[in-house]
Amino acid sequence: MTEQTASREWVGFSLRRVWIIAVNTLTESMRQKVYNILLLFALVVIASASFFSQFSFGEEAEQVASVQLKFIKDFGLGALSVFGMLIAIVGTAQLIPNEVENRTIYTILAKPVRRFEFLLGKYSGSVLLIFVSLVMMSMMFGAEMAFKQQKLVGEVLQEEQDAAARGGLVDHQEIQRNITSIRADALDPNLVKGVILIFVKLALLAAITLLASTFSTSMVFNVTVAFMVFFTGHLVGTAKELWEHSAFARYCLALIPDLGMFNVADDIILGNAIPWLHVAKVALYGFVYLATVVAASHFIFSDREI
Amino acid sequence: MRAKLLALLVVALPSWLMLPLVGSIDAESVKLKYGGARVTRQMRDAIGQGMAIALLAGFRGVVADFLWIQSHGYWEKKQWLQQYRDMEVVATLQPQSILFWDEGAWHMAWNIGYAVSVDTNNVTAAQGIKRERAWHERAQEFLARGIENIPNRYELYFKMGWLYLHKLAPDCGDDLACKKTRYCEATEYLRKAASFPDAPSFVGRTYARALEECGDIGAAYQQWISMWKHGPPMSEPSSILEREIRRLEDQFDLPDNVRVFPKHPTKPPASP
Amino acid sequence: MDAIRTESLTKKYALGWRRGKLLALDRLTLHVHEGEVYGLLGPNGSGKSTTLKLILDLVAPTEGAVWVFDTPATKVASRLHIGFLPENPYFYRYLTGAETLEFYGQLCGLSGTAMQRRIDELLDLVGLEHARDRRLAGYSKGMLQRIGLAQALVHDPKLLLLDEPTAGVDPIGSKDIRDMILRLKEMGKTVLLSSHLLAQVQDVCDRIGVLNLGRMILEGEVDKLISDQRRLSITVQDLSEPGRAKVEEAVLSVGAKMVSVEHPQTTLEHLFLDAVGRDERGAGEHD
Repeated sequence: MTEQTASREWVGFSLRRVWIIAVNTLTESMRQKVYNILLLFALVVIASASFFSQFSFGEEAEQVASVQLKFIKDFGLGALSVFGMLIAIVGTAQLIPNEVENRTIYTILAKPVRRFEFLLGKYSGSVLLIFVSLVMMSMMFGAEMAFKQQKLVGEVLQEEQDAAARGGLVDHQEIQRNITSIRADALDPNLVKGVILIFVKLALLAAITLLASTFSTSMVFNVTVAFMVFFTGHLVGTAKELWEHSAFARYCLALIPDLGMFNVADDIILGNAIPWLHVAKVALYGFVYLATVVAASHFIFSDREI
Repeated sequence: MRAKLLALLVVALPSWLMLPLVGSIDAESVKLKYGGARVTRQMRDAIGQGMAIALLAGFRGVVADFLWIQSHGYWEKKQWLQQYRDMEVVATLQPQSILFWDEGAWHMAWNIGYAVSVDTNNVTAAQGIKRERAWHERAQEFLARGIENIPNRYELYFKMGWLYLHKLAPDCGDDLACKKTRYCEATEYLRKAASFPDAPSFVGRTYARALEECGDIGAAYQQWISMWKHGPPMSEPSSILEREIRRLEDQFDLPDNVRVFPKHPTKPPASP
Repeated sequence: MDAIRTESLTKKYALGWRRGKLLALDRLTLHVHEGEVYGLLGPNGSGKSTTLKLILDLVAPTEGAVWVFDTPATKVASRLHIGFLPENPYFYRYLTGAETLEFYGQLCGLSGTAMQRRIDELLDLVGLEHARDRRLAGYSKGMLQRIGLAQALVHDPKLLLLDEPTAGVDPIGSKDIRDMILRLKEMGKTVLLSSHLLAQVQDVCDRIGVLNLGRMILEGEVDKLISDQRRLSITVQDLSEPGRAKVEEAVLSVGAKMVSVEHPQTTLEHLFLDAVGRDERGAGEHD
C-alpha cells in the first residue's frame, strides 16, 4: 500500500479539546484535599488580618482607622500573593508528573489529540485554578474590608456622640471628612489593579513551572526551579540599576522576568496613583512573556519521549 | 538539543523586543516613586534574615507594618533607641507613607520626649530637659526627610509647623528672640500646609495663630477673614472664626464700616 | 490492508554521557492483519512496550517506520482508529466512572445524547454499570482495567492496543477481560496485546510474536506453534485394565510409541472458576 491510498484524514488544532482538558484539570485539582486545605488556610489567614490590625496606635481616630485599614490591606494582599503563589507553583508542578504516574497521559495522547492541545489544556486548567482561588480569596478580603469599614465608621460616630454628650465642640465637617476618608480607604477600587497584576504574575510563575515540568517529572525539581525564578525575578530590578550602563547585562537580564513591576500593591495601599495605562503595560509584558514560555514548553514537550 | 535551542530563542527574542516596553515601565515607576528605598546592608542587619527575605519577595508593606508593631513593643519596654531605629527603618522602607513619618515624629517629640524628661534615671531635672530637647531635634530631622519624600501633601508640613509651635519654640526657654524665630519658621511650614486645597480647617486656624505669635498680626487678621469668606457656612468652627475676627478687630480698633463684625450692626455681617 | 505494519523499526535509547545507547528494538518488521488478535510476547525489557509506544507516536523511531491502516503513525490522524489501554492505569482518581468516559468521549468529539448513550453502552459492555457514579479512587484493579477498556473503546476504534491487560487482575477478572477481547474480535476489531502472562494469552490470540532483547525470535499461529504435530492425545472413558493392555498392544503393533498414560488434568484456573461459580449459584438458590 502506498501513501496515495492511505487515509486523507486530518486532525487540526482544536480549542474545544484544549478547553475539555482545562476543565478536567481544574476539576481534578479542586477535588484534591491538599488544595482545599490550602485554600481554607488562606481564607483563615486573610480573615485574621483584622485581628492583627488591632495592634495599631495613633493620635486620633482618623489615624487609627488609617493604620488599621493599611494593616488589613497589606496582610490581605500579602496573603493573596503568598497563597496564590503556592497554588500556582505547586498546582502546576504536579500536573504532568501526575499524568505520567496515573498513566492518563498515555490514554490522552493515544487519542487523536495534539501534544500542544494537551500542554495548553493543562496550563489553562492551572490558570483557571489560580483565577478561581484568587476570586475566592478576594471575596473574603473584600468582605473583611467592608466589615471593618462599618466598624470604624461606627467608632467615629460613637466618638462624636460622646463628645457631644460631654458638651465639647463637635466639628461636623471634620467628622464627615473622617467618615468619607475611611470609606474611600476601605473600598478603594484601585485595589483591583493590585489583584489583577498579582494574577498576571501568578500566571507567569505557573508558565515557568510548566516549562520546568517539560524537562523533568520530578515535582521537587519543578518547584525548586519556579521558586528560584521567583527570587531572581525580584532581583532583576536591582540588577538593572547596578548595571545600568551595560547593554550586554540588559540583554541577559531581559531573559529573566522582572517580577518587581507586578508588586504595585504596596503603592496602591499607600495611596499612590497607579494609572490604568501603567497596569495595562505591565499586564502586556506579563502576557507576552508567559506566551513565550508556553511556546518554549511546547517545543520541549513535542520532542519528549513519553 | 534542537528543541532546547528553539525554546531558548522563542523566549529570548520577544523578551529583547520588549525591552523598550520594560524601559517605559521602569521609567514610570521611578517617576511615580514606586517601591521604596533599596534594601541596604545596614537595613538587612537591623531587621533580620527572615524579614529580609520577605522584603526580597516584595512584601514591603507587611514587613513595615510588622516592624511598626514591633516598635510599639519597644515603646512599652522603654527601649526608645530601638523604637527609634525601627521607626527609621519603617519610614525608609515605605517613604511614601505619610503615616509613618507623621506618627514617627509624634512619638519622638511628644511621647519619647516626655518620657525621657521624667525618666527616673535622670540625675538632674536639667538632664531630663536636655534629653527631651534632643528628641525634639530628632523629630525635626525626621520630619524634614519626610517632607523631602512627600512634598505634595499637607500633613507633614502641618506636623512640622505644629512641632515648631508647641515643642521647638518653647524649648527656647527665656530667649525671646529664639522663640520668635521659631514661631516664624512655623508659619513658613503652616503657610505651605494651608495652601493645599484639601487642608482641613484646623490647618488654617493654626496658621493664623502662628502668625500672631510670630508678630505679624495684620497677616493673622487677613487669614481669619479669608477663612471666614471661603469657609462653609454651617460648620461649628465658624463660631471660632467669628470670635477671633472680633477680637482682632477690637485690638486694631477698626471703624465699623470696614469691620466684618461691626460693633453696632445696621445690617447683618458680611456672610461668607 | 494491514492494521499495523512496521518496516525495520529500530529504537535506540541514549543512556546519557558516554554510556552509549540501549538497543530497545532491532529492525522489527511486523504485520498485524485486520480482524485478528495478535499477542506480542516476551520477557520484561524485550521491547514490547517500546513497540506500542512507537505505534502511538509516544516515542520517535531511530530508524524505520510504522503505519496504522496505511496512515503513518507520526500523523495525529492515525490515532482516530486506535484505542489504547496502558499498563497499570490509575486514571483520574477524583472522577467517577461515568465522568471519566465523558471526558474521553468529549476529547474524541462526542457530545450530547449520543455521548450519553455511548457511555451507557460501554459501561454495560465492561460490566461497570453499578459503579458508574463511584470515584475511581474506590475501584479495584479489575475495575480499573475494565474502565480502561471502556475508554479505549469510546470512539469505536478499529484497532485496540492492550498493554498487559490482565496483569495484577484476579482469575475471574482475567477471564472477563479475555471474554471481552473475544467479543471485540467478533465485532471485527483488531487487537494487539502485549503480555508476559503466557497461559492467559494462549486462549485469546490467533497469532503471536515473541520478542527477546528487541528482536522477533518466533512468530506464527498459536495453534500450530503449541501443538506437537508428531504426537496424538486420545482421551477415552470407561476403559478397563485389560482393555488398556489391548490398546497399548495395538499402538505398538503399528510401529508407534507409547509416550504416557495418565489421567487428564484440568487447569487450576478452570477448577477455581468452577468452584466459585458453583458457590455463587448455590448461594443464589438459598436466597
